[in-house]
Amino acid sequence: MSHLLEVKNLQTHFTVDRNVVKAVDGVSYYVDEGEVVAVVGESGSGKSVTQYSGIQLIPTPPGKIVGGEVLFNGKNLLQLSGEELRQVRGGEIGVVFQEPMTSLNPVLTIGYQIIETIILHLKINKKDARKHAIELLKSVGIPDAEERIDYYPHQFSGGMRQRVCIAMARACNPKILIADEATTALDVTTQAQILEMLKDIVKETKTSIVLVTHNLGIVARYADRIYVMYAGEIVESGTTKEIFSSPKHPYTISLLNAIPRLDDPKGRQLIPIDGIPPSLINKRDICAFLPRCLHRTAACSFKPAPKLESVGGNHYTACHEDIKAEAILEVAAARAAVENSSTEIFHHRQLDNENLLEVKNLKMYFPVTKGIMKRKVADVKAVDDVSFFIKKGETLGLVGESGCGKTTIIRSILRMYEPTSGEVIFDGQNIAKMPKSKLRPIRKNISLVFQDPFSSLDPRQSAGSIVGEPLIIHQLTKTKQEYENRVNELFELVGLNPAWKNRVPHEFSGGQRQRIGIARALASNPSFIVCDEAISALDVSIQAQIINLLEDLQKKLGLTYLFVAHDLSVVRHISDRVVVMYLGKIVEVADWKSLYENPLHPYTKGLLAAVPIPDPFVEETRDHVMLEGEIPSVMNRPNGCAFINRCPMATKECSEVEPPLVETEEGHSVACIKVGKEVGL
Amino acid sequence: MTTEIIASERVVEQEVKKTSNTLRFFRVFLARKTVVASLAIILIMIICAIFAPLIAPFDPYKQDYSQILSEPSLAHPFGTDLVGRDVLSRIIYGSQAALLVGIVSVAIASVIGIILGLFSGYVGGLIDAIIMRAMDALMAIPPIILAVVFVAAFGGGLTNVIITLGLSLVPTYARLMRGQVLAIRESDFIVAQELMGSTNLRNMIKHVLPNCISPLIVLITLNFGVAILAEAGLSFLGLGIVPPKAAWGSMINDGYKYLLSNPILSFAPGMAVVLVVVAFNIVGDALRDALDPRLKGTL
Ligand SMILES: Nc1ncnc2c1ncn2[C@@H]1O[C@H](COP(=O)(O)OP(=O)(O)OP(=O)(O)O)[C@@H](O)[C@H]1O
Ligand code: SF4
Ligand code: SF4
Ligand SMILES: [Mg+2]
Repeated sequence: MSHLLEVKNLQTHFTVDRNVVKAVDGVSYYVDEGEVVAVVGESGSGKSVTQYSGIQLIPTPPGKIVGGEVLFNGKNLLQLSGEELRQVRGGEIGVVFQEPMTSLNPVLTIGYQIIETIILHLKINKKDARKHAIELLKSVGIPDAEERIDYYPHQFSGGMRQRVCIAMARACNPKILIADEATTALDVTTQAQILEMLKDIVKETKTSIVLVTHNLGIVARYADRIYVMYAGEIVESGTTKEIFSSPKHPYTISLLNAIPRLDDPKGRQLIPIDGIPPSLINKRDICAFLPRCLHRTAACSFKPAPKLESVGGNHYTACHEDIKAEAILEVAAARAAVENSSTEIFHHRQLDNENLLEVKNLKMYFPVTKGIMKRKVADVKAVDDVSFFIKKGETLGLVGESGCGKTTIIRSILRMYEPTSGEVIFDGQNIAKMPKSKLRPIRKNISLVFQDPFSSLDPRQSAGSIVGEPLIIHQLTKTKQEYENRVNELFELVGLNPAWKNRVPHEFSGGQRQRIGIARALASNPSFIVCDEAISALDVSIQAQIINLLEDLQKKLGLTYLFVAHDLSVVRHISDRVVVMYLGKIVEVADWKSLYENPLHPYTKGLLAAVPIPDPFVEETRDHVMLEGEIPSVMNRPNGCAFINRCPMATKECSEVEPPLVETEEGHSVACIKVGKEVGL
Repeated sequence: MTTEIIASERVVEQEVKKTSNTLRFFRVFLARKTVVASLAIILIMIICAIFAPLIAPFDPYKQDYSQILSEPSLAHPFGTDLVGRDVLSRIIYGSQAALLVGIVSVAIASVIGIILGLFSGYVGGLIDAIIMRAMDALMAIPPIILAVVFVAAFGGGLTNVIITLGLSLVPTYARLMRGQVLAIRESDFIVAQELMGSTNLRNMIKHVLPNCISPLIVLITLNFGVAILAEAGLSFLGLGIVPPKAAWGSMINDGYKYLLSNPILSFAPGMAVVLVVVAFNIVGDALRDALDPRLKGTL
């Protein structure tokens, strides 16, 4: 049987600094009509390059396709050029990229851009093309498409832009749609909406979709078949159910062990994959996963790299050993138990009843000015009357879609902004209005761990001096020797070798840099650490390392965390209590258990429903109720309940009063008039 | 020490390959032959300037009326001028003035410009507005006009040429620096500094300045060429270094009356100017390629 797309032994190399990077090293796969095929793997594993090689979208030089065939409808795409290639690329094969802004031209209307593509490929007249464009926009869920076709890209939200990109990719009824991390930059709810839409497209039009992603949850929910990539090779392939129920390759198994799930038992320990992904430069002909593999044998280190072999039907794996998932879990668990005997008790810590931080009626308004006189015309209420507290030694999770005010809260607490009103009581002192000079000694006790491990470290300073900076600023060490000792101590605390002190940040991997950032945050011995999306920029296999590190440090040093993240599974894993925000207000607060098992606010319910669980069997039984619409801009906040335009339970009453945050049971508060009534308040 | 490495967090052993950055820099920098040749020219110029008395075959000021306007010969490869001075020796001595003007004026411009730009960008607000408007005003005056005014007011000579050129180059540095600072200011690592309670001065000097070095090096290199060219221009107009002191610009001017009969008189110092200025430009461009990470790997 011939496949719609069949890639055979593809080899793509890059020449970087005279070294050969084997980005794609003998990859074979196929895509049939009407199926959703997922390509998963960590950053740099060659997922994108594999996809772009076929349609010749890789930059040459430095890239070069050195071998293999890409058969599409029987034609070898690698031999096409010019007009023929253009007909396939963007015609029969459409691509949706991660960043919608990079594939849309900001100075042209989206209509112009879509029509241009249509005319180029379908050769129809302008009027018909426009009609077709409007239909396409409607089909991807853009409301008022007739009018919005003449909008410019910046007039759309991120999610809408991605829809436009999909419309554009579909302009010529492609047979295959390649979605390269197409939803990674979006909120969970928008991500779910878009993926559902793609699924419907597959059903209706028999288009095939290649989902390139690192998110195993998405894969479990939407893919029919999976290819797992590691270091430029496919290490395992099979149907989604096969891969999730009986993963065979140690890498796949480790990945599944490393990610937190929404339905985990609390206190499940994440088993990180040690080490970092290998460099693809000068790859040797042995198993690339060897240094990180928990199941390696002596034979693995000299046998040539394993080839994909069937382990039953269409399930292939490339490993010398015959591995059972349970076996490797045992190995990992045993190792973790030996090395980490102190870590069993997770969230059964005895918490103090004292509040370390208390935020009372915090408001942060930004003035909107108009004209040259900078006349104030309105306020953007980025944070509007927010109150919460964090107990000593506790981890408070803060979640919500982008733009809901998470960052503003952090910045107001840290006094990077001057709060409009309200109190921020830290360790008994109100720091919200404290003069900057008095604030300095308090800064010692509060640290921030940044999202981006790249921009948060000064590229010109050595790792040692980055970590030691707070010691100097707060004059915490007296002698040179004391300083050096403390820096060494901090390095070891976060699992870095003190011998690396003199390296500069770019000589470290992303996860290691995040460790440097954490070491810096710990240097002044703070009691409170704010983590602003501290792990979301990291690879899945590295995320578990950092989560475990944060948990270990908390236990050792008695730290209190405010953990801000958009990944609800991670927040569930790490938090004691969770705050859910929507449009600058808190809509629900509860301990993790009540919040995840008994969410009350319709928004929380919607958020949780949108998070895919990396298990196709669980996914089958979940009904996918989607939260409709998008978070409105803070500028036009609806009257009454801000959630009204997306709420499935909304009635007229909801537009009349702004629902207050009421406690429905101990420690569980909700801001929804309906919920209050249910429990008879 | 009482610390232990967190168990499950085994130190990640990894051979970060120190593909020595310095090595990569030199590979890109020296990739083109023109760059090597330019470096050689600059080196020769510097040697000439320092060791002029040893290298020059004649005293550049000694007038020899028996040798007026003589043709190039073995003794005088570029001939002699109107009063019988050896042209080659004068060119060699002229490199002293050129180099001095280049170094000192660029030093003045860069130090003042960098400080102004650093403050302007980092502190912002009113200070920024005042500094940048002043820079705009200075930039609006063409350097030659500025020089004419300056020389008219304070007289010619080496010192005034240097001061004039130095001042007129200040805005370029201030602007470049301010742009860099504005971008770096926004980075998380500066936010981190502020959250630690670090002072502005410390942040500016320890964290902002080092991150602006690459474009500054490029600009400084390119500006050596600009300054040398401007000095030659001013001296040519008689506004710069005044004879009998040897300066390439005034030599071109001297010789230019005999352009038809004795072209070498203008041509030789002219060549010196062109070679040196082009050399600095080529080196500046190569530095930009080698230092700018966006271009890394393409050569
Ligand atoms: N233009 C390029 N020049 C040099 N090397 C490149 C280029 N593009 C990709 N590579 C290299 O090819 C390898 C695979 O990259 P690729 O983008 O396919 O990874 P990926 O799996 O898509 O990762 P991500 O999840 O980050 O998108 C990487 O080692 C990368 O450094
Ligand atoms: S071949 Fe050996 S080292 Fe590679 S994945 Fe299999 S067991 Fe691990
Ligand atoms: S108050 Fe009304 S609109 Fe708001 S969440 Fe509750 S039911 Fe929905
Ligand atoms: Mg990619």
